[in-house]
Amino acid sequence: MKGAGIIGIVAGCGLLAASGFTVTGQVRAAAQRLKTGVAEAAAKPALVAVANDAEAPYCTPAFKTVLQRVLNACGLTGGDSRRGCQPADVKNLASISDDDFNALFVPLKGRGGVLMFDDGAEKLDDSSKKMIEELWVDRRGARYFFVVARASKTGTADFNRTLSHKRANSVLFHVSDKFKDPDLDKKVGLLWLGNEFAQLGKDYCEWNVSRKDRQCTPEAINRSAFVSWVDCQL
Amino acid sequence: MPSGKTRWPAALALLASLLGFAFGASSTLDYIQHLDRQVHDLHCSFIPGVDAAKGADTACRAAMYSPYSALFRDRLWGGIPISLFAVGAFAFFAAFALYVLLAGRSAPRRAAHFLLIAGVTPLLVSVGMLILSVLRLGSICKTCAGIYAASTLLAVAGVAALIVDRREARAAPSATPAPPPPPPSTVTDPAAPGAVGPTIVDDAAPPAPPAPPAPGRPRGSLLLLPAWLLALGAFSITPALLYASALPSYAGYIAGCGKLEKLTEANGALLRIAGPGAVQPATLFVDPLCPTCKSFHQRLAAEGLIEKLDITLVLFPLDSECNWMLDRPVHPGACLVSKAILCSEHRAPAVLDWAYDNQDAILAAAKSGAGTANVQAMIRQRWPGLDACMDSKPTSQRLDRMLRYIIDNKLPVSTPQIYLGDTRLCDEDTDIGMPYAIRRLAPALRSK
Repeated sequence: MKGAGIIGIVAGCGLLAASGFTVTGQVRAAAQRLKTGVAEAAAKPALVAVANDAEAPYCTPAFKTVLQRVLNACGLTGGDSRRGCQPADVKNLASISDDDFNALFVPLKGRGGVLMFDDGAEKLDDSSKKMIEELWVDRRGARYFFVVARASKTGTADFNRTLSHKRANSVLFHVSDKFKDPDLDKKVGLLWLGNEFAQLGKDYCEWNVSRKDRQCTPEAINRSAFVSWVDCQL
Repeated sequence: MPSGKTRWPAALALLASLLGFAFGASSTLDYIQHLDRQVHDLHCSFIPGVDAAKGADTACRAAMYSPYSALFRDRLWGGIPISLFAVGAFAFFAAFALYVLLAGRSAPRRAAHFLLIAGVTPLLVSVGMLILSVLRLGSICKTCAGIYAASTLLAVAGVAALIVDRREARAAPSATPAPPPPPPSTVTDPAAPGAVGPTIVDDAAPPAPPAPPAPGRPRGSLLLLPAWLLALGAFSITPALLYASALPSYAGYIAGCGKLEKLTEANGALLRIAGPGAVQPATLFVDPLCPTCKSFHQRLAAEGLIEKLDITLVLFPLDSECNWMLDRPVHPGACLVSKAILCSEHRAPAVLDWAYDNQDAILAAAKSGAGTANVQAMIRQRWPGLDACMDSKPTSQRLDRMLRYIIDNKLPVSTPQIYLGDTRLCDEDTDIGMPYAIRRLAPALRSK
């Protein structure tokens, strides 16, 4: 056939031109999508959560309310230099009855422990130290480490308030000495309760107590500090 | 007019070329779609341009993300897809075959020679790519298979064209003018050598010569071969040049996906994996049972980057058994495998590789009957002696610290993530743009 060469050349150039135009057109379209983000919007990527602390089922609104108030007032948030809250503060902060206040911490029964102290003393014994260390390293996803120190009703209110404060500090100092965590201040929340607020009942003797081999009485269980990581986000 | 018997190789070559062109174009357009740094569906089918069923494009995606899919991947984002060269080459072969088909006997014999020589080259390339697909990728994508088939047909057409040409050449006199036959003698010189018999005077008219055979094809100039090769080369690279010239700049997108706030973990909980050739610090967050992590790991290995990275490995199991950030296990068993890795010390990379290699089986075991106990049994069988360590509190606490490190850095709950130095490699740059992005973010890798 005459002109076969011409037809071949025209066909080849046609295919090449079509390829070239399509390729450049498609590349420019992709460049435009890249620039405008149209493709991303169309794809509607699923929102990816940001890694965060644990949120356990016991983190009820009531629990969080108390937690938030304590954190705000006790120096862990907001840049306040205060550390810890006094019994009077807690009464105002919690705005709930003793029983309700204690009940908030019931879900932490399996997570925390009760450190027992001698009468009128704030010194940690070996079993308490061991319990603190075991609990501290078992942080998992928790954000805050709470220490709720108490004093029994024996003695004056002032004495017990001071004693309770010292017991809370004993825990804080031991954690600080043992683990030398530079962010300790951002983690540990202290509450010290005198004998006028939120006394524990004997049923708390069934919790994870540090002196398992000694008799647990209503008086003894309140010569204590409850320590636990709190798996709640705020 | 030549019969169909002599034209069929050219027709076959035309068909093969158009088929190769279609598959090449389909593959190229899929590739180009991804230049917007997003993930798109692929036309992974034996019918060019037809969408693949959901989830059935794995092989095509593996091929596309592999280092064999494009050239200059470290210099251009995504590189230049090799299918683009195929598009140009098949366009040329289609045009050439059309010419030979239409020209018939007037096409020079060199055309058949060229069709054989050049027509075999796509097959040779296809064989190479097929071997890579099978040995390195472990799968063959349908679009690639289409190109392989087209290449094979083209090579068959080339061989057939040469065979037909030879037959024709034997059957027909050369097109080169032959010396004229000697005129009929009227007198034979008896003295002439070889003359025998009496002198014969032939007064009769000569017998009618047999009908002349059809004239053979012209051989054609030898220069036609390099000229056609040159044209083939021009066709092959022109689309690639146009493609490269149209590519946008990606420089502004590479480093905008976040920084690692804390490069170290106070308790030494993170794993370090670094070979003697490691030059670039990198922090890698992976879930050993995450398929994307496996693919990413394979791509890093295929690009030859693993051994150049001084890796800080952070295990990020997406399994609610140990990861409080989830309310259900995305990859059940991942916590156990992570603990096995932590307990393996210097064998940690081997255990991670094992987990990637057996990911499907491990996940299936975790979802069946005894659940994660099956996973523990698999670990025990392959890596005996880890049980006590895996069940220990220190191991759990080390894994917790890895997760806390992730929280401290406010990272998304997503795997894999890699930070080169302190800069995150964007998710959008972890597939076809990875070699380019990594070399931009990690200058130490650029000259190595």
